[in-house]
Amino acid sequence: MLSLGSSGGKQPAKPSFVSYVTPEEINSEKESPKKEKLPALLPGEVVFCSANPVLKYTQDEFSQRGVFGTLVCTNFRISFVSDEAQTEDTSQHFKNKLYGQNDIPLMCVDHIYGGYDDKKKLITGPQLKNKYPSKIIIHCKDLRVFQYCLTFTDEKDAKKIFQGIVHHCLESKSLKCVFAFSYSANNAEMQRKWRTVMFDSTDDWVQEMKRTKGNCRLVTENQAFELFQRLPQYFIVPAAVTDEDFQTAKKFSGKGLPIWCWSHHSGCALFKTATVPLMQEDTVSQNYMDRMLNAVAQNHLYSVKTEDLGDTLPSLQEVQLSYSKFKQFFLIDNSTDFWVSDVKWFSSLENTGWLDIIRQCLQKALEVVECLEKENTNVLIMEEEGSDLCCVISSLVQLMLDPFYRTLTGLQSLIQKEWVTGGHNFQDRCNHLHHKDKEHLQAPVFLLFLECVWQLLQQHSPAFQFSETYLTVLSDSVHVPVFSTFLFNSIQQRVSMLTAESPHTQRGPLSCPTVWDWSVQFDCRSQEFFINPVYTEKLRVDKTTKKSHRPKHTRQLSLPSSAFKTPPKKGFFKEETDSLKKMLRGKRLSRWMLSPDASPQGSSREFYEAWQRRPLDYHGVLLPQLEGPAVRVWMQRYLRWIPEVQIFGGGAVALTSRLAELQGEVQDLLRRLERQGRGPYLHDRPPPPPYPAATSPTLQLTSQSHLLRSSVRLSSSFPFISVRNWSFKPVIPTSVPQGLSFTDPDNIADKEDEYSETISLV
Amino acid sequence: MLTGSKTTFKVRQMVPDVKDRMLSHSGLHTRGREMFGLCCLPGECVLQRAVLVRKKLSAKEGGGWLSGTLFCTHFRVAFVPQDSPKPDDNADPVLLGDHDVALASIEKVVAVGPSRTKLVTPNSSLKFTPEELVLYCRDLRVICFLFDRLTPETQAVEITYTIAKTYQPLKPGTVLSFQNAALGSIEMKQFLSNRRRDPDMNWFESLSDWEQELERVGATGWRVSSVNDRFEMSTSLSRFNVVPQKVLDTELKKTFAHFNEGRIPHWCWRHPRGSDLLRMASFQNNIYHEKDDIRNLELVLFGVQQVCVVVDLGEEMPSTTDIQLAHTRLRALCLGDISASVSVPDDKWLSTLEGTHWLDYIRCCLRKSGEVACLLRGGHLTVVLQEPEDRDMNCVVSSLVQVMCDPHCRTVAGFQALIQKEWIMAGHRFLSRINYHRDSDKEEAPLFLLFLDCVWQLWAQFPSRFQLSGDYLLALHDSLHVPLFSSFLANCQRERSRRSQHLAQSYTPVNGLRELPRGSPQEPCDPPLPPVWDWALQYSSQRRARFTQPVTQPASPPPLLNGNLNTNLDPHRHVDGMAGSVFLLSRGSFSSPSNLLPWRSSAGSASYRKSHRRAPSAEMLPALERLLRACSLSEAGPEPHEPLLPLLLGPCVKVWRDCYLRGALHAQAFTHPMPSSMLHPVDQLSWEVQQLREKLSQASSTSSSSCSSSSSSPTSSRTSSTPHIKLEARCTDSNLNQNANNGTFLFPSSRSTSHQPPPAPRGNAQTTASIKATSRPPTSIANPQPRPTGRDGAKHTFLFGHQPNNRPVQRYIPAPHAKPPRSRSSSSGGSSGIHGNNLQ
Repeated sequence: MLSLGSSGGKQPAKPSFVSYVTPEEINSEKESPKKEKLPALLPGEVVFCSANPVLKYTQDEFSQRGVFGTLVCTNFRISFVSDEAQTEDTSQHFKNKLYGQNDIPLMCVDHIYGGYDDKKKLITGPQLKNKYPSKIIIHCKDLRVFQYCLTFTDEKDAKKIFQGIVHHCLESKSLKCVFAFSYSANNAEMQRKWRTVMFDSTDDWVQEMKRTKGNCRLVTENQAFELFQRLPQYFIVPAAVTDEDFQTAKKFSGKGLPIWCWSHHSGCALFKTATVPLMQEDTVSQNYMDRMLNAVAQNHLYSVKTEDLGDTLPSLQEVQLSYSKFKQFFLIDNSTDFWVSDVKWFSSLENTGWLDIIRQCLQKALEVVECLEKENTNVLIMEEEGSDLCCVISSLVQLMLDPFYRTLTGLQSLIQKEWVTGGHNFQDRCNHLHHKDKEHLQAPVFLLFLECVWQLLQQHSPAFQFSETYLTVLSDSVHVPVFSTFLFNSIQQRVSMLTAESPHTQRGPLSCPTVWDWSVQFDCRSQEFFINPVYTEKLRVDKTTKKSHRPKHTRQLSLPSSAFKTPPKKGFFKEETDSLKKMLRGKRLSRWMLSPDASPQGSSREFYEAWQRRPLDYHGVLLPQLEGPAVRVWMQRYLRWIPEVQIFGGGAVALTSRLAELQGEVQDLLRRLERQGRGPYLHDRPPPPPYPAATSPTLQLTSQSHLLRSSVRLSSSFPFISVRNWSFKPVIPTSVPQGLSFTDPDNIADKEDEYSETISLV
Repeated sequence: MLTGSKTTFKVRQMVPDVKDRMLSHSGLHTRGREMFGLCCLPGECVLQRAVLVRKKLSAKEGGGWLSGTLFCTHFRVAFVPQDSPKPDDNADPVLLGDHDVALASIEKVVAVGPSRTKLVTPNSSLKFTPEELVLYCRDLRVICFLFDRLTPETQAVEITYTIAKTYQPLKPGTVLSFQNAALGSIEMKQFLSNRRRDPDMNWFESLSDWEQELERVGATGWRVSSVNDRFEMSTSLSRFNVVPQKVLDTELKKTFAHFNEGRIPHWCWRHPRGSDLLRMASFQNNIYHEKDDIRNLELVLFGVQQVCVVVDLGEEMPSTTDIQLAHTRLRALCLGDISASVSVPDDKWLSTLEGTHWLDYIRCCLRKSGEVACLLRGGHLTVVLQEPEDRDMNCVVSSLVQVMCDPHCRTVAGFQALIQKEWIMAGHRFLSRINYHRDSDKEEAPLFLLFLDCVWQLWAQFPSRFQLSGDYLLALHDSLHVPLFSSFLANCQRERSRRSQHLAQSYTPVNGLRELPRGSPQEPCDPPLPPVWDWALQYSSQRRARFTQPVTQPASPPPLLNGNLNTNLDPHRHVDGMAGSVFLLSRGSFSSPSNLLPWRSSAGSASYRKSHRRAPSAEMLPALERLLRACSLSEAGPEPHEPLLPLLLGPCVKVWRDCYLRGALHAQAFTHPMPSSMLHPVDQLSWEVQQLREKLSQASSTSSSSCSSSSSSPTSSRTSSTPHIKLEARCTDSNLNQNANNGTFLFPSSRSTSHQPPPAPRGNAQTTASIKATSRPPTSIANPQPRPTGRDGAKHTFLFGHQPNNRPVQRYIPAPHAKPPRSRSSSSGGSSGIHGNNLQ
C-alpha cells in the first residue's frame, strides 16, 4: 500500500532516492586529506570553530538524504560549506551578499534543538558539558530550519562545534560583541540611490514639517541628550509647549511629552507619547498632563482625542505569545508534521490569534485615520513606553494617509522617523543579546508592523512602490547583525555606542552601514525585486500639485452626504473639543484617560463605507479591509522555505515574469527599430495609450526581464527559491489526510482494518 | 397566471399588475429597438426605469460607482451607463449586457433606506424611499444600486416594487415563463435557429464527432457504437458510445443488463502513453452471468489493454448530500446576509470556512483525479472509474483527469468539448442537480460548481498552462444560474433530443417530458434554447476577449505517432486476448478483492478465476504503486503531457475569491482593484508592443530591405491586423498546435500568407515561421503575438461561433486610436487578454 512519509524511512533504499552514504563509507572517506572549506569571510569575521564532516539533511529526517560538509561558526554566522564541488548557482538570482542559503547569522537563530536518539530537546544554555546531541536542529527567525547530523564527526570536533554554536547563539553577550562592531567594510559612501530621509539632522525634520505643512516646534535642545535620555536629538512638539514644560517633563524623563508624528493637510496632527503614571492626588502630574493636552489641542481647532493603546490593543506579551504559536506552523522539522497539520490548517492558524492582532492594529489605525481625515481633530496616541504599538499605529496611519510613505524611500524614511529615531527598543524586543532577564520584553512589534503593511500591500497592490519581496527582506534584515539600524534601544544608546567605539578603532566614529544601504546585501539586479511591478506612479504633471494636498480637499467635499448625516458617534475616542476647562480637573482627568467602552467596529464602519463609495485613488487615502477573508497569511514570508507548497509558475511570479517578458519585447522591438536606421524611433517611444490614464505603471524591470525569461518555470517561492527542492512525499497525498477530512472517527477504525486486509492481500 | 407566451400580449397578461406601468415594448417593431438608451430584445418590455442611478462596481470592474439609468424589463434588470456608446442597430441581440442581471438569477431584493433595510417581496410594501437597492443573486453576486437624491422618489420606489414583483423567485413553473420572456418572441426564435454553432468545438453529437475525438487522441482499437441510437439500451447514456473494436454490437447489447441503468463501461479518453480512461456504473449483482456474457464483459472492460484498474468513487468521495450541504454553508458564509444580522465574526472566518468542508471536498476530488492521472501516465492500463450511477462523481473525476493531462482541454474549445463529452452527453443530471424548478430539492447538488472550483484551483496554481482564463470559469459559473441554456436544462441526451424533436414539429403536443411543466395544450412550443457555449448571447466581445489568455505552446508539438508514445511494451504482456488482471484502487492503495468483478467470483467461472487472477496480481501491484509514487519524483519538466498535479496542502487550496467573495458587500476591494481610468501594466505593455510592431512593419515596408528576419522576434510579418483579429489568430493557432496529432494537420502556409496585408515579403513569412517552430523558447508565457501560421479572414469564428463585428482587415491601427475608456478593452485589453487579477 501507499503510505505517507512517516513510514517511508522504515523501508529500505527506495530506488528513487539519491543514494545515501552509509557510515562504513564515511570511514573510508575520512582517510582522504581533510579539506575544510571555509566560507568566504567578511571583513572582520573570525572563525571560532569548525567541524568536518557534518551531514546536513536536505530534506526531512526520514528520508535520510543529506550533504556532507563543514560546519563553521564564526562571530557572524553559522555556516555550512558543502564538500561537493560548489556548482555555480546560476539559478539563484536573488543572492544575499552577506550570507548565503546555508548561512545563519547568529542573531537570526531562534531556537536550537538537540536531537538525542529519537528525542528532540530544546537547548537553552550550555548546561550539558559532556553529553552532546547527535543532531543539531536550528530554527531561524526567518523561518528556515536546518538540521545537522554530528554522528559522523570526530567526537572532539562535534563537541566543540556544538558548544561553540550554543555558546555564541544562546549566551547573553554584550552589545560590543555584536558583529556590527567588528565588521569593517569600506562603506564610506552610502548608496544614494534611494535617498532615505534619516531624520538625524534638524534639516530633515524641518523639511518633513514643511512637506506636511505642520506648524509645530522643533526642539533642538536635546542635542547631547541633556534633557531626555529616551528621546532623540531632535524632535517636534506642539508649538504651545514651552521651555518650562521641558523642565517639568524632565521629572517624568520625557514621558507625557507629545511627540509630533505627522500633520494632516487640514492642520490637525498626530502625536504620540509615553504615558505618565497618574495618581489621583498627584497634582503635579495632572497639571502637567493638562498642559500637554492643552498644547496638543491648540495645534488645531482646539480639539484633541486621546487613545491609550495599552488598553485597547493586545499587550506585548500577548503579541509575543501569539506569534510564537503562529510561527510553529511554518517551522517544520520534517514535512510529515506539515501534512498532518494540513487538515486543520485554517482553524489552527486562526487559533493562534496572530491574524486577529493584525486586524486589531489595522482597525485601530483606521480609527485614527477617521479622526484625522473626517473629523480633523488632533490625535494623541499613548502607551506605556510610547515606542511600541504607538509606532505601529502612527506608521500605519501615515501609510494610509500619505502616498509619499508608500514609495520605497518613503517607507524607509517612515521607519527611520517612527521606529529608529522614535526609539523603538529593537534590542530588547528582538532580544538581540540573548539576555535571559530580558526575555519577557521580547515581542515582534516591528514584524507586526510589516505584517500590517503587507496586508495593505496585498489589498491595494498598485498603490505601493515596494514589493512583497522587499518587506520580506526587510523583516529578515532585522536579524542581520551588520546594520546599525535595528541594533539599539534608543538614539542615545546608538550615538554613545558608535562614538565610544571610535578610540579603539582609531578610525573616527564607527560607521555601521544602515540597512537602507541595500547594496551591502544585494546587487543591483536583486534590488529590482524590491520594486512592485504593478505600482502606478503619479503622473509628473500631478507632482507639482501633489504637495499642496488640494485634491484631498475636493475629495472630502465629494463625500456622500450620508456620511455626515449621523450625529457624532460615541467612539472610544473621547470627545474633548470644547470641554477642556472641565477636563482640567484632576478627577476628570484620570477618568478621561480610561477609554470608554464602545464598539470600535461600528464606529469606523460608516467612515469606511463612505470611503468605499468614492472611486479608489491610489494616491489618496487608502483604507484596509478588515473582514475575515481579507486578512491573510503572508505566504511569501512564512511558506517560502517549505518545498511542499511551492507551485511552479504560480503566485505573483507569473505576473512578474509576464510583465518582464513584455518589457523585454518592447526593448527588443525598440532595438530593432533602431537597427533599421530609423533614428527617430529610438527616442520616440510610442505615446502613452490615448486613454485618460491618470497614472502610468513604472517600468523598471529591465534586467529582470532577461533573468526571468531565462528560467523556464519559477516556483512560487521565487525569488527566494527558484528551483524546486524536490520533496520525497508523493505529490498526491493519499489516504491519511483524506480519511481525516470527512469521515467519522468510527470509520477510521474500520479503515485500519481494511488496511491490514489490503496488506495481507498484497 | 399563464406560464408562457409567445407574443408580448401574453406577457402582459403574465404580469397584469404592472401592465399599466409598462413604459414601452418593442415587440411589434424590429428587433434591437432602442428604448431610452436600452437596447431591448425583440419582444422585451421596459416595465420601469429610474434615472440617475449609480451602480457600485466590483473591484474587478475597477471599483467606485458608475452612474446611469436603471431599467427593469420583464426579463432582466438592466443598467445603462451614462456615457455608454450608442447601441448598434444591426448588432445581434445580446441577452444580458455587462451590467445586467437576468431576473431569474435574482434571489433576493433588499431595499436600504436611511435607517433600515427591508427585504422586498412581491407582497410587501415599502414605507420609505429606498436609497439603495441591493440585489442578491443566485450566482453569489451582489449588485448594489444607489439612487441619487435627484432620482424622482416615485421612480426609486416603483422600480423596487417592479423588480420585487417580477423577479419570480424560482419555483416550479416560473422557469418556463422566464424562458419565454427572454426567447419567446418570433424574432428571437428565428434568430436563435439561424445561429451557427461553433464549428471549432467538438459537440459530440454525431458519430463523426466521436470519431474525431478518437482520432485526436490517437486511440486505436476503439470504435463508435450506435447501438444506443434510440436510447433503447440505456436511457441515460448518449446516443453514441465508444467501445472496443473487438466487441460487435450484437454482443454489446448483452452487456447492458449487467450494469446499473445500463451504463456499460464507455471510453472517455486515451492518454498519449496508451492508457485508456473509462467510466461505468456499478454492476448488477443479482444477475446470472453466462459464459458468453463474461467474455463480452471482460472485453468491454479491458478495452485494448491487459491490466485494468477499477477506481471506485462510490464510497471514498463525498456524497452529493455532503456537497450540497457544504455549498450551502459556503454560500451562507461568503454571501453574508443583509437581512439576517447574524454574521461570522472576523476572527472566526477561517475556521468557519474550514467547517464548511467545501475545500476538503475540492481537495478530495483533485487528489483522486491526480491519482488517476498518475496511473494513466504509466501507460498500458485501462482505468475504469466506477460509481453506482456513473453520473456524478465520475463526471468530475474523469473531466478533471483530462484537464490535468491533456493541454487541449485547457483551451476554451477543448474545455467546452470536454464538458460536452463528460457531462452533457454522459448524462450528468444537470436539471435535477441544479434544481431550477425547485422540485427536486433532495437531489440538488452543485457537482458542476465543485468541478469548476477544482479547475479554478488548477488554474490558480498553474495559470500559465491554461488558455482559458479565470474570467471564463466565472462566466461559466454564472451561466449555470440562468435557466436558459439547453446544456443545463436536461438530465441526459435523451431528454434533450426529445425536446428538440418536439421543437421541430412544433404543433404536436408534448408527451412524456416530465421535466418541463407543460402549459396549456394550445401552447405551441417552448422557445428554442441555445447552448451555453453561444457566449455571444450573454457576453459582450470585450468580456469574451478576456476568456482566453495566451499560453505557452510546447516548443514542438508532442511527437504522437498514432497517439502512442510508449513503444516498449511490457515483456510479460499476455498474448491471450481474454486474460487480464483487475485491481481496485481504493484509498490510495491497490488490492484485488475477490468480489471486484461479480462474474469472476461467481461459481460458474471458478475455473477461469483460478487460472488468471492470482499470479499477475502479485507481480503487478508493486509496479502500480511505483506508478503513483514515481510521479512525484520525476522532474516534471514543462512536457505538455505531464499531468498538472496540484498541491493540496492546507495553504495551497484556496478560496475562489473572484467568485465567492465578489458579492459580499464588505469585500469589494479584494484583489488588485483597477480603477477604470488606468490600464493594467500588462495591457499597457502589450499595447506598447503592438505599437512598436506596427512601427517596425511600417519601417520595413517603406524600406526596401527586408531586414526583419531577426530570429528574436519573428513578428514583423503579422503586425497589421486589428487586435481583435490578432487574438483570434493566436487562438486559432494554438488550436492548431493542439490538433497537431490529429492527422488533420496544417493548413498550407501559402493560404495564411495570402490573407495578409503585404508588409513583409511572402517568403520571409515562411522563414520566420520555420524559425519560430524550431527556435522559439518555450518561456514566452505572455506573448500576444500572433503566429505566422494563423489563418485569418476566412476563419474568424474560432472562439465564439458568431462574430458580430467582422471588421475589415486594417493595415495599421491609426495611432490616435482614441476611444473612451470604457470601450478600450476591445483594442488593447483584447490583445493581451491577461489581466492582473487573473494572476493574483
